[in-house]
Amino acid sequence: MTLHVAFRVGSGEYAVDARDVLHLETFTQATHVPGAPEFVAGLVQVRGKLVPVVDLRTRFGVTAGQRTLDNRVIVVKVGARVAGLLVDSARDIVQLDESTFEPPPELVGDQSAGFIKAVASSAQRLLLIVDVPRVIGEEVRHA
Amino acid sequence: MSEIDIQEFVGGFIAEADQLVAAATAGLLELEMANDRGEARPKTVRDLFRALHTIKGLSGMMGIQPIVDIAHAFETVVRAADQRGGRIAPRAVELGLIAMRAVAERVRAVADRQPIAAPPEALLDELARVETLGETTSAPTPAIISSWDRKLSAGERQQIATALGERRSVYTLTFTPSDANSARGITIATVRADVGKLGEIVKVAPRAVPQTDDAPAGLVFELLVISDATTSALAEAVASTPDRVVPLAALEPPELATLPVDDEISPIGRSYVRVELDRLDDLQEQLSGLVVSRFRFEREVANLAATGADVRALREITDAQERQLRALRRGILRARMVRVAEVLEPLSLLVRSLVKPGIKEVRLALDVGDTELDKAVGDRLLPAIVHLVRNAIDHAIEPIVERERIGKPRAGQIVIKCRQGAGNRLVLSVADDGRGIDREQIARRSGRQTVDDSDLLDVLTTPGFSTRDHATETSGRGLGMDIVRRIAVRDLGGELKISTTPGAGTTFELEVPLTIAIIDVFSFECSKQAFVVPVAAIEEIFELSEHRRIEGPVADPGRLPISICERRGRTVPIIPLGMMLRLGETAGAHKALVVRRGGEPLAFAVDRMLGRHEVVVRPIEDILARVPGVAGATDLGDGRPTLLLDLVELGASITTWRAGYSS
Amino acid sequence: MTRLLIVDDSKVIRDMVAACLRPLGDVTFDFAGSGLEAIERLALAPYDLVVLDLNMPDVGGVEVIEFIRSQDKLRSLPILVVTTRGDDASRTRVLEAGASGFMAKPFAPEQILVEVRGLLGSAPQ
Repeated sequence: MTLHVAFRVGSGEYAVDARDVLHLETFTQATHVPGAPEFVAGLVQVRGKLVPVVDLRTRFGVTAGQRTLDNRVIVVKVGARVAGLLVDSARDIVQLDESTFEPPPELVGDQSAGFIKAVASSAQRLLLIVDVPRVIGEEVRHA
Repeated sequence: MSEIDIQEFVGGFIAEADQLVAAATAGLLELEMANDRGEARPKTVRDLFRALHTIKGLSGMMGIQPIVDIAHAFETVVRAADQRGGRIAPRAVELGLIAMRAVAERVRAVADRQPIAAPPEALLDELARVETLGETTSAPTPAIISSWDRKLSAGERQQIATALGERRSVYTLTFTPSDANSARGITIATVRADVGKLGEIVKVAPRAVPQTDDAPAGLVFELLVISDATTSALAEAVASTPDRVVPLAALEPPELATLPVDDEISPIGRSYVRVELDRLDDLQEQLSGLVVSRFRFEREVANLAATGADVRALREITDAQERQLRALRRGILRARMVRVAEVLEPLSLLVRSLVKPGIKEVRLALDVGDTELDKAVGDRLLPAIVHLVRNAIDHAIEPIVERERIGKPRAGQIVIKCRQGAGNRLVLSVADDGRGIDREQIARRSGRQTVDDSDLLDVLTTPGFSTRDHATETSGRGLGMDIVRRIAVRDLGGELKISTTPGAGTTFELEVPLTIAIIDVFSFECSKQAFVVPVAAIEEIFELSEHRRIEGPVADPGRLPISICERRGRTVPIIPLGMMLRLGETAGAHKALVVRRGGEPLAFAVDRMLGRHEVVVRPIEDILARVPGVAGATDLGDGRPTLLLDLVELGASITTWRAGYSS
Repeated sequence: MTRLLIVDDSKVIRDMVAACLRPLGDVTFDFAGSGLEAIERLALAPYDLVVLDLNMPDVGGVEVIEFIRSQDKLRSLPILVVTTRGDDASRTRVLEAGASGFMAKPFAPEQILVEVRGLLGSAPQ
């Protein structure tokens, strides 16, 4: 059983391993970086560190919505990299049993396909487990 | 060999031989450094001699005559050095390194079951002829009154004399071997190791004594040791008691008093405190906080002034704060400064290991004086310099045969110089007298004609560009010129320049800030977004409306519209920055920031200037946000990152810019 | 049971010498990696013969021989010196210092075997 942070992007519910999560921050705005990939919302400052923020709506191909007070930046650590995931809301911490994880279904509809590594079910909910390294793009090309 | 199978021992031989060659090489490098400082190292010479002798014996037993010959030839040279008090001539050191490499190659051949090449004749010849240092040791060796007198060699006496001159303590320790000690695992071998950790063992001598309860084996070992450890620690190391630890009483002959004492290292002079770099980093972090804080305060004062209040007293305070913070910053930065010479020290050893002996010869000269720079800058700069030096050795410096044929001196030269640059900057140059860069070849490889040296640099620093089809042995794929540029320019906020003359050589110049902690910037606004640029990068700022502007010819609508302005008798191209950065609607550009690129002025049109500040700039570490033209980000006091632009780098992508191009 | 002490700072050589001498039959080997260790061992236990390399740290082979010979109980201990310096001058020096025999490296296994057998055979029991 491992702790996961559950969050919403569009109509989908997702989760990431809590061990990869450094902080949960509120989001007001990010400094746009000209020339960065489209899914990069920009840079924010978190505890003195410069953190690039990936807009998961853009990343998962969900239509852009209004920014609300519920928006959160999930600051994750992958190896030596620190990055932020901008999500619509992030409310729960859940315990998930990894032995019940299923591989992601073939058709998930939107472009979130490549970024999901498993599907978990917990208390009548289906949570899509996010492949964080892929989301923050290990291979990125610039303009 | 008939009755024993040599093959059985090959594995052990290779392991031992590798170890011995490594030890000998390390010893030679140490002797080289000692030579540079004019010091003798009798112990290192003795260890070197033994290593060679063992290599010789071992290879002899294995039946590998070529290694025996090489080892023997060099061993003779080292023996002579030992007899001269532990100094070995520079040329001999070089030959030694070549010899060790020759031995290593042959050991490798044994491992790979390849035939073993005969020893290089030229090497053996030169070893036989090399001049040994003829000078005698500078200070007369004092008479050391003790039973050790007869047993010490000239080199060992010198070692003691030097130690006494440095006011270090010298002791005689006595170890008594016995069955009891052996049962406890204490033997002369373990004692040597333990004492060796506490100081330098100059000599160990056995002494027969009458067999008694104290000395059941009729034997004691005496160790002559230079050590700063306590007598109880030393006593414990020899399984004895502190009262048996005997300090060496030496006569201080009048000559010793005239030995030059270096004031720099005398403990009665300056006092030093060791500070971990982390602590200085913390201090700087605090300082940065203060700077940001003061800036905010200044803004509040400005707001207050705008309401009509009298803020003169407040202004005086913030001015004083600015001065104090500047002084504090200078103080902390000075504490972080290291000498450039120290930062570059690893280079000479590196050059040694990179050069194939007999094929190329390379001399590295450091002409950097006492210049200092911030340790953090130095740490980041070193890999870049290492790469430039590797490149020079791999591609630029020609092999000996070629150099002699074209009339160049046999050894290729790499000279690293440094000087103070404009503002708070340091200019480091790495110059070689090798082939120079062939523009034709570059043009062919890249498909681009290069008009001048700065164009050439652009091509060379394109990621993935290489003039070789494969990674060479030393340059590898690890670090390309693009990364050198990134370190110098993006990470450090500096500049990289090249100038090359085919046939004569190439010089790379890196201009870097002395510190990267806090820099002076201008802030400006472009399409409602704030940016900063280093003050040092801006040549001038002028009002656009005051100058005649001509729209330049535009090849097609998808490209950047460049206009031209006349300024001080020169034409200056003007780039719309907001458009280039795709920032959307601009309120109208009023100001132009002029930078210099490749010697020519280039201006960027921005909406309005905001101010001038001293800020902490952080590099952007994550690849997601690393883009050309953005050198880092800072906090102007509102808690949000404000991007630091590298206008010169942006200038490089003007011609390749396309409208609507999104990544 | 013949007790032999093999002294050389190279493990490979120590092992090789032991291998060469195994045909002696009823024999045990002790090893020392330096002249000092050799002196220590000789002081603590009796040996029938020492095979000694000259090139060693701290105390050179010749000094070791001189030291050994200076002790009454070791005066007639057979010492076979094995060295790479096979020249006559070294040989003379070594024998004058008190070595019983002298062998130059490299040597063939049968050479050292014969030499050691001879030294053991002629040693007073």
